[in-house]
Amino acid sequence: MRKHRIVTWLAAVGLSGALLVSGCSGSRDAAGNTGEKVSLKLGYYSSGSSDAKMQELVKRFMDKHPGIEVTTESAPYGKFFQKLDTQIAAGSAPDVWLSDGVYVAKFAERGAAKDLTDWVSKDLNTDDYYGLEFNKDANGRYWGVPQGVQIAVLFYNKEMFDKAGQPYPNENWTWDDLKQAAEVLTLDSSGRNARDPAFDGKAVNQFGLAFFSITEGWMSVFKSYGGGVLDETMQKSVIQSPENKRALEWIVDGMKRNLFTDPSDLKSFKSPVAPFPSRQAAMRIGIYARVLAANEAGLNYDVTLLPKGPDGKRFAPIIANSWVINSKTSDAKAQAAWEWIKYWVTDDEVQKEWARLGEAVPVKKSVANSPLFLETGTPPQNKQAFLDSFAFAGRLDDNAVWEEWLSKFNDSINRAFLGEMPVEEALAKADRDVQQVLDAFYQK
Amino acid sequence: METVKKHAQKKSEGRWGLLMVSPYIVHFVVFVAVTFLASLYFSFSDYDILNPPQWVGLANYEKLVHDPVFWKALWNTVYFAVLFVPAQTFLALVLAVALNQKLMGLKLIRLAHFLPVISSWTVIYYVADAIFNPRFGMANSLLMRLGLEPQKWLQDEWLVIPILVLVAVWKGVGYIMVIFLAGLQNVPQELYEAADMDGAGAVRKFFHITMPMISGTTFLVLILSTISTFQAFEQIYVMTGGSVDATAAGGPNNASLLLMVYLYREGFSFLHMGYASAIAWVLFIMLFAFTLIQVKLQKRWVYYEK
Repeated sequence: MRKHRIVTWLAAVGLSGALLVSGCSGSRDAAGNTGEKVSLKLGYYSSGSSDAKMQELVKRFMDKHPGIEVTTESAPYGKFFQKLDTQIAAGSAPDVWLSDGVYVAKFAERGAAKDLTDWVSKDLNTDDYYGLEFNKDANGRYWGVPQGVQIAVLFYNKEMFDKAGQPYPNENWTWDDLKQAAEVLTLDSSGRNARDPAFDGKAVNQFGLAFFSITEGWMSVFKSYGGGVLDETMQKSVIQSPENKRALEWIVDGMKRNLFTDPSDLKSFKSPVAPFPSRQAAMRIGIYARVLAANEAGLNYDVTLLPKGPDGKRFAPIIANSWVINSKTSDAKAQAAWEWIKYWVTDDEVQKEWARLGEAVPVKKSVANSPLFLETGTPPQNKQAFLDSFAFAGRLDDNAVWEEWLSKFNDSINRAFLGEMPVEEALAKADRDVQQVLDAFYQK
Repeated sequence: METVKKHAQKKSEGRWGLLMVSPYIVHFVVFVAVTFLASLYFSFSDYDILNPPQWVGLANYEKLVHDPVFWKALWNTVYFAVLFVPAQTFLALVLAVALNQKLMGLKLIRLAHFLPVISSWTVIYYVADAIFNPRFGMANSLLMRLGLEPQKWLQDEWLVIPILVLVAVWKGVGYIMVIFLAGLQNVPQELYEAADMDGAGAVRKFFHITMPMISGTTFLVLILSTISTFQAFEQIYVMTGGSVDATAAGGPNNASLLLMVYLYREGFSFLHMGYASAIAWVLFIMLFAFTLIQVKLQKRWVYYEK
């Protein structure tokens, strides 16, 4: 009887315990240091092929640093960041993680990322790396070190240009040159181009330019026209400017004439980045990663610098996806995390291995400027354009509330794109809404 | 001696009972009670997930009252419910009555209506997109063949909710139909036989026997459908582009922004977890009040067999 009761209680406690543990699973850090080893939790977002490569590089790192035991945590992009926020809240986030470049400021300004300035100035020659300077905040502090860089150029489908008898885009193009070419390259279902009076704008089969949101859409136009969204403090909206008005009018005109994809057109594709690789757009503003889909589709294409604004100004959006160290991690682990970052950016082998995946421009300039990156034998031929674009590259005005102000901005600007709101009204509304978001965070 | 034994046995039974329900109790405490109270606390705080919550009193609720997007989302939710609940209930009832007859291939027809229920929203979205895609969809090619203007469907501010409701009814009607079928099969056959003898026609039998006899089922269906509207998230998220850009779900121009989608956007995309918790509580209170009203009203029209 007694035995029976004990068994019952043990089972009850065991079952409840198991449920509790499974309910809170994953929240414990593997801090059980074995011997002298420092255990380091590394988090990153990945796809299948990059995951295998990352595991390989982690193993190599541990061989070189026998005192550090790395455990990895990875997930597809969206899931990774959703989980990361809650992990930070629970104090169980990785010691070092890969952040999308546009989220570095969010983690820095909200106290989740560690200030890396001293380490960067001590251990890295900043001139040797692409993207590093874009991780600095307004006070010149570093919060992340690039893992790989995305920078935008103009992609063009050579076959479509040949067919239309148009010369390929070149480095002297202005946005107006682009629009003129787009007129000839936009075709309706009967094959008539946009200059033909009988052109049917409701049945476009081939767009002149695929135009998508901020990085691969309006930001480079706005900035090369001399405009932008936030001032250099990243706390004040500068949306209502004559430069932005001109830029927006230029875009809206292109969409109204169906030369560029508008937000509604994009929704009819399987993905908003699909029109160019699926041969339904002759040009696109695209970051380096778009090379993968274009090559997979077997396109005959090349790239060149993004066009100049009316006064000759250029702008290429850059996103430096970066390693960030957890601000709450212990000193020993933070040091180990820094070793990982140093290994990543300084080690030629790592840089080369990662470059071979073809997902990003290598961080180390010596590797990016080598045949390994520039002459891979696969298109685009003019990969130099990506490197040349660093001369006029800039961030996406990202700060702690980037996602929120962008959403508010898009609310108005998309309505202007669709012709539902006049340009001036859209800019005025966007200005108000964005400033409200900024004030709610910075004036608290 | 005998009573002591019985007492011990009862005690032991009680413990076994506790053991058996312990998974539920643990689940309830960890995932319901604690989160319930935590969200109540968060709703009175400024909480960005990454940093500990700061008490701000009623600030979130005050903001809510003055937030036009919240009112728009509330209106959208009510509008969705007003279209969805009656449409789904009526259609499910008609289907259930039709499929309660002895027909050829009855099981196959019932199955066909139930298939969308078990499909995921992503699959449903692809099917709906094949019809309503403005560039490649069947709906527009049909309109153009008839010489009519093509529409933007899900990208049209006025059409987006009616289309979402249409698709939601199509996906959900099979489930409600099964509930109605169970209700219909519980109606005693004698009642119909008696009515037949009295010379009642089919319509009369339906309104005077079937409807009152399944009023309990109808009540259940109304409550379930209303709750599912207030909880609608996945459909809106998937069908209005949330998988491409989470902050874009609920478009165009927030025309399909239902409360749950707004809550998600504020809490997880914009890191306003305090504000999102306040939305959740308002939603809960409204749903609770609405259910109470329905429970009160049921006395007037729901018939329970004693």
